[in-house]
Amino acid sequence: MTALPTTTATAAAEASSNKRSRTPYLLIAPGVIWMLLFLVLPILMMVYVSFWTQTTFKIEPILTTKSWQTFFASDTYLGALWTTVRIWLIVLAATLLVGYPTALFVGLFVRNKTTATALLVLCVIPFWTSFLIRVLAWRPMLGKEGAINIILQHLHIVSQPIDALLFTELSVVIGMTQIYCVFMVGPIAFMLGRIDPSLIEAARDLGAGFGRIFRTIIFPLSLPGVVVGAIFVSVMVLGEFATAAALSGRKVNLLGNIIVTQVGSLKWAFAAVAGVVLTVIMGVVVAALLRLVDLKREL
Amino acid sequence: MPMASQTGRNEGAVGGSVLRLDRVSKFYGAKVALDDVSLTVPDNAYVALLGASGSGKTVLLRTIAGFETLDRGVITLKGKPVNEVPAHRRAIGFVFQNFALFPHLSVVDNVAFGLKNAPGVKLDARAIDTKVRAMIELVGLSGLEGRAVTAISGGQRQRVALARTLVTEPQLVLLDEPLGALDANLRSRMCGELRRIRERLGVTFLHVTGSETEALAMGDQVIVLDQGRIAQIGQPDEVYTRPLDARVARFLNCYNLIEGRVEGRGFATEGRLLPCAQIGPAGAEIYALRQDLIEVAPPAQGPNEGPRLPVTFVASEYSGPSITSFFKLPSGAVITVENHLSHRDPQVFEPGRSYDLTWKVDDALILARGTGARA
Repeated sequence: MTALPTTTATAAAEASSNKRSRTPYLLIAPGVIWMLLFLVLPILMMVYVSFWTQTTFKIEPILTTKSWQTFFASDTYLGALWTTVRIWLIVLAATLLVGYPTALFVGLFVRNKTTATALLVLCVIPFWTSFLIRVLAWRPMLGKEGAINIILQHLHIVSQPIDALLFTELSVVIGMTQIYCVFMVGPIAFMLGRIDPSLIEAARDLGAGFGRIFRTIIFPLSLPGVVVGAIFVSVMVLGEFATAAALSGRKVNLLGNIIVTQVGSLKWAFAAVAGVVLTVIMGVVVAALLRLVDLKREL
Repeated sequence: MPMASQTGRNEGAVGGSVLRLDRVSKFYGAKVALDDVSLTVPDNAYVALLGASGSGKTVLLRTIAGFETLDRGVITLKGKPVNEVPAHRRAIGFVFQNFALFPHLSVVDNVAFGLKNAPGVKLDARAIDTKVRAMIELVGLSGLEGRAVTAISGGQRQRVALARTLVTEPQLVLLDEPLGALDANLRSRMCGELRRIRERLGVTFLHVTGSETEALAMGDQVIVLDQGRIAQIGQPDEVYTRPLDARVARFLNCYNLIEGRVEGRGFATEGRLLPCAQIGPAGAEIYALRQDLIEVAPPAQGPNEGPRLPVTFVASEYSGPSITSFFKLPSGAVITVENHLSHRDPQVFEPGRSYDLTWKVDDALILARGTGARA
């Protein structure tokens, strides 16, 4: 009588521990299956297709490196590659330059958490409209007869409208900086908000002025936020094509634009090559950024 | 104000005092955080600033350090007014309650921070290293130099915080409840350490604490702060044996405070007139009796010699070296009596039985209620 309940209890405990040990796998299974089917498999497929034989009207699964050779021999593609890297670096620097002070204000100088959250929500408001509208809204702003030129002329700062504002690399950079800046502000503001105010007071008490404190305490402690923000911005900018298409008047061709055109003209192998190149660049960039800080320790 | 006379005496005598506060006030909206605080902190001394939470002791410390601005009054450091001097140029050390160590720096880099980043004279790397290592040795952290501050114990962090402040050679070190984050065992050890380190360096420590035992044990001088005002300044034994008012006495946690009023040469309470050695300040209405100076006797029939109050025994509490007994007065108020077991065997009392409490007339104090009632 005494033994029986014990055995049942043990069995039940075993069953439940078995169940518990299976639970994590069940939880992760949908995600893993999804990623395998729709991320890993397509990437492998992309790499595979990039070695297929492309003729003008059809593509055949006969392995060749012709597409790769064409890609690296063509000024158009290499130019696009270079433009992508350049725009990415400029936008990354611009978002950091605009975003860090903003984050510094929101995360460090606004000590009221409610106000800080409200300010961050304010940053997100542009996202309540669609991507296309946000991009196209820059046209009436930057155009030859756009808002900025009208204002500058009215203030007699310029006599002739500046045409360099729209349909140039500058307009692409302006548009992208505006769109992606918030992804830089958020993570940095989060990290800055976590800095214990007494650390800054302690540094002041030890004789350090604000510049010193920023360099030795605030910036190093916010670095994980900078890295996370930089990863967000990098991944999104490297894969961009819409902003460039809408604001450059097709003058700025990014790798993303190349892929869109190639797919449009059914040149799957070329598109795959560009896709692989882009994926490799992103991988390298993310890996390099992650080496800057030990995110596991910081978050 | 007990300190007013002392402030006057120290006028001009800059060498004797490292810090002086003159009629310092600070408000948060309608709330008065510091109310007309004047005090002088002598050079090369350990001063304990005692106050309950909300008494303004941390605000006072932060004001001295320069983290908060004053609404009124003058703070003088080594003879120079520092009201307009920003915190990082005041040369005052501040040890934070939570230590506020820089989490991304090692022990050495934390300690060296002040030497590397302070304005003015730049030391070369060798000189910094020598100073830092000497300080690390002084606080007993040798061998942990390269450790991350997140990988050491609470007591060790406390020492890093102390070393980081002391290495910059401040004239005055403010410690904001420095032992609050440590466990009891470590706390008593750090008490001795703090005194030793201070004596070695000859600087002044202003140690804020909410614990009366800590304040009495550490301070060469004890300042009691109550509701933003200075309630008492004095030597520890002076504060302990002669609290200035009932609020200080209550805060010391070792006095029985009996309500009543002065009548003629005695104190009327519990339907009796207790004889008094001194009459106490005007409006005094508290009879303060130290818990360890009360005798318990069987109810007496004879004539009263000296003060005596009838009580009923409630319960006892054993606490190692002493035993604490609780008695009820006729009015229902509870009197605490502490007996140190080293003096004699514990008396055994029977719950519900009547006893008489007696004490020496000279041991009783007649006190005013304190700042709260005066305001």
